[in-house]
Amino acid sequence: MDNIQLIRYLRIVLVSLLLLLTLHVQAQKSEYHIKIKNHLFYPAVIVIPANKKIKLVIDNHDENIEEFDSFDLNREKVIFPNKQASIFIGPLPVGEYSFFGEYHPHSARGKVIVVESSQQKLEKGKQDAN
Amino acid sequence: MISMSLINRYWALIFLSISLVTSSIVYADGVVVDKVYHPYVLPNEREVEWRLFSHRESNNNKLAQRLAYGQSVSENLMLEFYLVGERYSNNDFDLVSYELEARWMLTEQGEYWADWGLLFEVEKETEQKNWEVTSGIIVEKEFGRTSLTLNAFVIYEWGKTLKSELETEFRLKYRYRYIEQFQPAIELYLGEDYLGIGPAFMGLQRFNAQKQLKWEVGFITGMDSRSKGHVLRVAVEYEF
Repeated sequence: MDNIQLIRYLRIVLVSLLLLLTLHVQAQKSEYHIKIKNHLFYPAVIVIPANKKIKLVIDNHDENIEEFDSFDLNREKVIFPNKQASIFIGPLPVGEYSFFGEYHPHSARGKVIVVESSQQKLEKGKQDAN
Repeated sequence: MISMSLINRYWALIFLSISLVTSSIVYADGVVVDKVYHPYVLPNEREVEWRLFSHRESNNNKLAQRLAYGQSVSENLMLEFYLVGERYSNNDFDLVSYELEARWMLTEQGEYWADWGLLFEVEKETEQKNWEVTSGIIVEKEFGRTSLTLNAFVIYEWGKTLKSELETEFRLKYRYRYIEQFQPAIELYLGEDYLGIGPAFMGLQRFNAQKQLKWEVGFITGMDSRSKGHVLRVAVEYEF
């Protein structure tokens, strides 16, 4: 395969990949709610199931802007005063993922704990038994 | 339920993608190493950016620098203005062009199977009265602690010393989010006369509130007979 053929091939592969990425189905996602008040997250710990995508809805009750930031979750989101914002998280493996408020990093801190749900444990137990 | 605006966006993306395959356009001229764009925009974001590009080929060393100011003008649109300087063969360094860039975040991060954005650029050379208009798709997909980013651009250029033509350009980055300050990656660049690949890394250091310093360094090697030499690229960005 010469270079021109290689480049044509790469072009087709990349564009096909782009087209493939457009074909998705939007599934229902479980919603979790937290609020920001006095530069603190309530609740500061959220437990979510492993390997599921969830929607985290954040209400900012403060008069100041806040930015939800997490390197572990790879998410950044600005939440304006007295406004609501949504963040989509996962699917994630079991573990702990910390987050903080970028404008108040010492007080606004929390974590997402990802656990196996009882159904997931049951299915895993069945697989192990087999 | 998928909204009409989302369907319209997807039709636009599909149309642009099909046009890349079926059209008779050629790839972008010369070395196309620059920066792999991410599709994300944050409101209230302002930044100054400096980019360095050094192409070493045999005894020649081409040097270009960009200085930019950018600001998000809405929750999903970022505008950036660039001044581009280049060093000529006689070692004089001069301003060669200026550019306006718009980056539009189409989808919320993580909402769909992949994250989407669009990029539009208009560049004008200062002396030659040449113009270049770029539009393209930015896609990012997360795989655990790694992220794959693709940029596919269509470029139209014309002017006094340029033949009017359509070109395409691809950029790809596969990044491992190891720690905030050090995230190694592999980058690939594809243009008309260039196919280059090489290691890169990026990182960031946070300060107060939205203030942070981001950096990227890449060392890209030409992969075929038309893509000789090595390119060192550096980008430093201060967000405030």
